[in-house]
Amino acid sequence: MMLTPPFNLHHPTTVDEACALAARLLEEGRPFDWVAGGTDLLPNYKWHIETKPDVISLARIEGLDAIETDRIGCMVRLHDLAISEVAHPLIATAASKVASSLIRRSATLGGNLCLDTRCFWFNQSEDWRRSIDWCHKADCGSGAECRVIPNQNTLCVATYQGDLAPSLLVLNATVELIGPSGARTLPLRDFFQLDGITRNVLKPGEFLLMVHLPEDAAKRRGAYRKLRVRESWDFPEAGVAASWVPGDVSSLRLASTGLESIPGVHDALVADHGDWTLPEGRRELAEAVKGAVKPVNNTALPPRYRKAMVSVLAARAMGDLMEEV
Amino acid sequence: MGVGMVGEAHVPMLPAPPSVVWRATVNGRLEELLAPSNAILLDVLRDRVGQLGVKRGCDLGTCGCCAVLIDGEPRLSCMTLAGDVAGAAITTVEGLADGHHLAPIQACFAEHGGSQCGFCTPGFLVTAQALLDRTTNPSASEIAEAIEGNLCRCTGYQPIIDSIKAAAEVLRGEAERAEPRTMPHADPHPAGQDEPILPPGHAR
Repeated sequence: MMLTPPFNLHHPTTVDEACALAARLLEEGRPFDWVAGGTDLLPNYKWHIETKPDVISLARIEGLDAIETDRIGCMVRLHDLAISEVAHPLIATAASKVASSLIRRSATLGGNLCLDTRCFWFNQSEDWRRSIDWCHKADCGSGAECRVIPNQNTLCVATYQGDLAPSLLVLNATVELIGPSGARTLPLRDFFQLDGITRNVLKPGEFLLMVHLPEDAAKRRGAYRKLRVRESWDFPEAGVAASWVPGDVSSLRLASTGLESIPGVHDALVADHGDWTLPEGRRELAEAVKGAVKPVNNTALPPRYRKAMVSVLAARAMGDLMEEV
Repeated sequence: MGVGMVGEAHVPMLPAPPSVVWRATVNGRLEELLAPSNAILLDVLRDRVGQLGVKRGCDLGTCGCCAVLIDGEPRLSCMTLAGDVAGAAITTVEGLADGHHLAPIQACFAEHGGSQCGFCTPGFLVTAQALLDRTTNPSASEIAEAIEGNLCRCTGYQPIIDSIKAAAEVLRGEAERAEPRTMPHADPHPAGQDEPILPPGHAR
């Protein structure tokens, strides 16, 4: 049994109340976390990873769980997303492949996008981490060395293993963030920040309120392929999403996850390569995607295998697009 | 703990969080109790309400032993904050049977060998019941998807799938419900709210 660390749980009932509460805690200098479904935060808390004295739950805020064709609330649970007939089929498919059916009942869209990065040296119990004198990410204040890449402590290389980000990226989604200093909207591709500790551009007190989809997203067809150890439960060891407007070869977009500290967008590669509708073109582009990602040795499967599988997944995802026509 | 160990300063000593009144309907009975604000539903159900059918397996969401129905949906109680589900109707494995009479899914687990060591069984029963509440004619893939979050190291899963199929047949009225091999006996947890049965070490 793992002891839950002590924290005060707050239950605001409106977004304004949540922002006011966050502002008050910031003012008082009390660090806090947001919790949505809790499937990522609570296991980390039980392992005493970066616990905070206060936690604000979004569970009682009404209206954050609405699914519409052009926007999805942050508290939409992945199970509801997976069976939704309103959500884009690619998002529904990606949601249905996250973890297990039990976890999808609790896990949320916002939580999945803001998923903490994961690493073999990080997601361990407190005693385990103490025995290796901590890691760069978990206890950065202690000056601990990164265990994955020795002698480099400028960048945390913990892996982002969210499933929904690549699918939303190839649909060109934007995210609406809200906090004490007001709301702002930015493209999802700018939301992530290359560092396993910073992870994203959320400022203190901000949380992800809504995901917006552009109008042309409905026209797009997509596919998502992922690699995991156990099909029924595990985090993705690699994942590739692809989408296009059927018939328009130049409209292809590719994104990957589970390989680096942030999901990867591969638009530049797509622009550089020729016709991917032919198997040879697909293979070439898939090889280019493989060359662009840099997995490190911090998840269950070795980086060489994950890298090799990226080209397989990318080629298959593009093949799925062709099959749907 | 060694003095001056790296990072020791980063483990803050915090006072216990304040207790708050927690109300919910557990197996049809309204429970009202004091629980710390950071309480996990699994701890509240086991240690405060006394529903020991809810099992603590991995405590991290991998094994599914702690599954309960929250407003009819199967959820993992080890990853649910009690405060988030206050006011909900919660059903644990104890709430599936009708008094002495086992629910069809329980009878079929007994009949078809769906339970061996039994530790994972409460979780499987709860998720299977949720599936059968949704449909009494589940396909093989629906069954597989429903129980994908539950781990069993004894049965190899096939007897569990057989049990769920058999229970679905009973619910559809296509098969007789299995007669219990032994006489139905008294509620194994007869104690009420005032005297929950607690595991060793938790007794007051």
